[in-house]
Amino acid sequence: MSKVKELFNKYQALAYVVLLALLCAVPFILPKAVYVRYACNILMYATLAGSLNIINGYSGQTCLGQAGFFAIGAYTMAALSTKFGISFWLLLPFAGILAAFVGFLVSLPTLKLKGIYLSIVTLGASEIIRIIAQTWTPVTGGAMGIKQIPYPELFGLDTFRPKYYYFIFLVIGVVFLFVTKRVLNSRVGRSWIAIREDEIAAKSLGVQTSFYKSLNFMYGAFWAGVVGCAYAPFVNYIEASQFSTDTGFNVLAMIVIGGQGTLIGPIVGSTIVTLLTETLRFLESWRYVIYAVLIIAMMWLRPQGIAGASRSILAGGKIKRKKQAEGAEGSATNG
Amino acid sequence: MADTRKPLLEAKGICKYFGGLKAVEEVDMQIMQGEIFGIIGPNGAGKTTFFNVCTGIYPPTKGKIFFEGEDITGISPEKAAQKRIARTFQNLQLFKFMTVLDNVKIGCHIKTSSNLFDAIVHTKKYRRDEEYAIEKSLDILRSIDLYEYRDTMAGNLSYGMQRKVEIARALALDPKILLLDEPAAGMNPPETRSLMEFIKMLNKEGYTITVIEHDMKFVMNSCDRILVLNFGEKIFEGTPDEVKVNKEVQSAYFGRGLVAGEALK
Amino acid sequence: MEYFLNQLVNGLCQGAIYALMAIGYSVIVGVVGMVTFTYGEIMMIGAFGAYYVFQFIGINLPVALLAAFASSFLLGIIVYKLCYERFFNAPRHISLLCTIGFSMLIKNLVQIVFGPETKPVLNIIDNRTFTIPLGSAISIDLKLLQIVVMILVVVLAVTLTLFFNRTKSGIALRAVSQNKDAAYLMGINVKRTAMLGNCIGCGFGGVAGILLAIYYYSISTTTWGGFSMKAFSASVLGGLVDLRMSALGGLCIGIVENLGITISSATFRDVFAFGFLIIMLVLRPQGFASKKGSRV
Repeated sequence: MSKVKELFNKYQALAYVVLLALLCAVPFILPKAVYVRYACNILMYATLAGSLNIINGYSGQTCLGQAGFFAIGAYTMAALSTKFGISFWLLLPFAGILAAFVGFLVSLPTLKLKGIYLSIVTLGASEIIRIIAQTWTPVTGGAMGIKQIPYPELFGLDTFRPKYYYFIFLVIGVVFLFVTKRVLNSRVGRSWIAIREDEIAAKSLGVQTSFYKSLNFMYGAFWAGVVGCAYAPFVNYIEASQFSTDTGFNVLAMIVIGGQGTLIGPIVGSTIVTLLTETLRFLESWRYVIYAVLIIAMMWLRPQGIAGASRSILAGGKIKRKKQAEGAEGSATNG
Repeated sequence: MADTRKPLLEAKGICKYFGGLKAVEEVDMQIMQGEIFGIIGPNGAGKTTFFNVCTGIYPPTKGKIFFEGEDITGISPEKAAQKRIARTFQNLQLFKFMTVLDNVKIGCHIKTSSNLFDAIVHTKKYRRDEEYAIEKSLDILRSIDLYEYRDTMAGNLSYGMQRKVEIARALALDPKILLLDEPAAGMNPPETRSLMEFIKMLNKEGYTITVIEHDMKFVMNSCDRILVLNFGEKIFEGTPDEVKVNKEVQSAYFGRGLVAGEALK
Repeated sequence: MEYFLNQLVNGLCQGAIYALMAIGYSVIVGVVGMVTFTYGEIMMIGAFGAYYVFQFIGINLPVALLAAFASSFLLGIIVYKLCYERFFNAPRHISLLCTIGFSMLIKNLVQIVFGPETKPVLNIIDNRTFTIPLGSAISIDLKLLQIVVMILVVVLAVTLTLFFNRTKSGIALRAVSQNKDAAYLMGINVKRTAMLGNCIGCGFGGVAGILLAIYYYSISTTTWGGFSMKAFSASVLGGLVDLRMSALGGLCIGIVENLGITISSATFRDVFAFGFLIIMLVLRPQGFASKKGSRV
């Protein structure tokens, strides 16, 4: 693994270009059209899981209600494009901003709370959003939802076809990764990680924890909203039950299995869970049994997830010292 | 000789009660700029509690704290750090899983100011801040002989080194006062001696340092003035020589009947 | 006025079941020291255990209640071994995620075995109603079912109190809930005691589960998440670890729910429930209790 990483770092720019080229070729080289749909879902959920990972994997808060922010984004697109004909590309950032604002509101009561209290509040907020979507008929279509959401304009391409919609998700994913990488490698990102690792120490070093925790929520919610906005035309019809706690737990499973605290973890998680969902569709409830077993297995074997941050409190908090000379390089394992 | 300077950190009548427990009772203290100030006392004397009140971990039940003449009673730890009051913890609150360098970089937080926008767009401010954080952190690590461990995970270092890292991190704040809670705890004699030299060197460079310690040799040989606590109350405040001969201190530590133990030599 | 009083009675009865749930939940959180997300599924297993007693042996309430307690008790052992024991000294979010996974596991397994339909649970208790006059023109209706439920809850609560105060195991449980290290030093087998506490709490949940099924005359696999939330809310109202306050919390929720049924529709009930919980967590996280049982 580390040899791959070494190679990667050396030829980073080249590697990214090659990767990008491969990704662009995917919709054209996949044999079946339905596989392209899978690819779209993988990309979409990768970013959604990534948005949850920002909160759960980088600030020490366990949010269970990402479905709510997702819903805000989706309904913004659905309602404003069908009612006022506003362009998808304008709504994309606007949906994100709206979701970020809701994220701010949700963060307010959680600032003084910890652990499960915080998680329950996020779950409650997500449910409240869903119920409002289900009952606020003039805006959200109530239980009937919103139909025939217009497809975005993309250089005249027929985005109705997943082959081309794929690129919308790809662009969103790439922008998300690029921006997030920059944020994480900055004072803001360091503050988040400090809060995650040891909040008291962070406070004593001058990090305003309430501000950064709130900012973190807003950032995660923003991207969930953006993805939601892209989701709406893709499925063409949205209604409240698509944003239930099950959806939220689905996304949670992705980062628990795939990895928290790294940029690649959610991508791995999205790939695994989406492929399982699609290929095992016929198994119905057994699918969820498999996820559940995977989640529990992860917590036992590798709490940070497959591709998660091993060097963090996410990995279980115990340090195993290798028998080496004093001060030498060691590694963190989960206790 | 009366000290006409104003104290850097001053506590007036600090009381901290936890329900019925009187952890700290009516403690006054004055720390002058540029000195090494020691706080000693038997276990449970309220030293760490007193520290915590001074650094904003919790507010005092009664009394006031002044820093550079300004009333800072009850401020949050973040604000205390912003005023450049830096502290280390008795039980080490290091970021165990981060490298030594990353630990110290967090300490640069208050001296930098780039925000989310700066980070995304890589503005000049962002570049300046990143350069500053790395340079300053490496400088500090060099100055305390931890440079070669900069990429080591902090939790993998020996206990003595971890303490040094915590101090390095506190130094990144460019502190006006450095409060160290039992920095020599768990160290063997050579490590303790080296720490003592290190603290004296820092003091020579101009840092005002306050130390809670149990190690008497350490305290008596490094500190300019000492505050002695017992059962949450102030017993005495003075120079090491004065402390040595003070009867109250002796009876608090050694009980009545025993005079000047090995440590007081 | 009569309607109001009748709703109050309904609220008390439903609140009694909620109180039982809340007590079970608080025992778990108190003794184990970790919060669980899977309490709904534990109640469900208890309910189904009793349901199958009805199916195979016929209407035998005492046996069914025993089965409910036992089924949830046994499931509690599994939950304990999977989600708690290993993570006593790990960051709290790990056991939390584990219980979320476990909840998914049990919910879906039961759905596979039992099917998605709601099955009826009838004729467990004779459908008799007593009309009790209160003063001149007012009388309230009290169903036999409600009387049985309330008596049962009181008996269980009293038994639990006696257990905690009079028996060696019970006192050990209280010790573990207050300070694990000290209990260990006193020679108490902390792991086994914590497991016992967990399983007793689960058992209570199981009994609450079958009582709910009897009360609503039906059993299904989908409603338990909501009850889990209610158990949690009631427990929070009681400061999470105080049993009496949690029971009070359960009663309150039951009464408020039944009185509020007249005001708003079912869907909004959940909004109010969540909103109320959020407000309460912000303003007074310790609920009715006088001090914070901050275990989390």
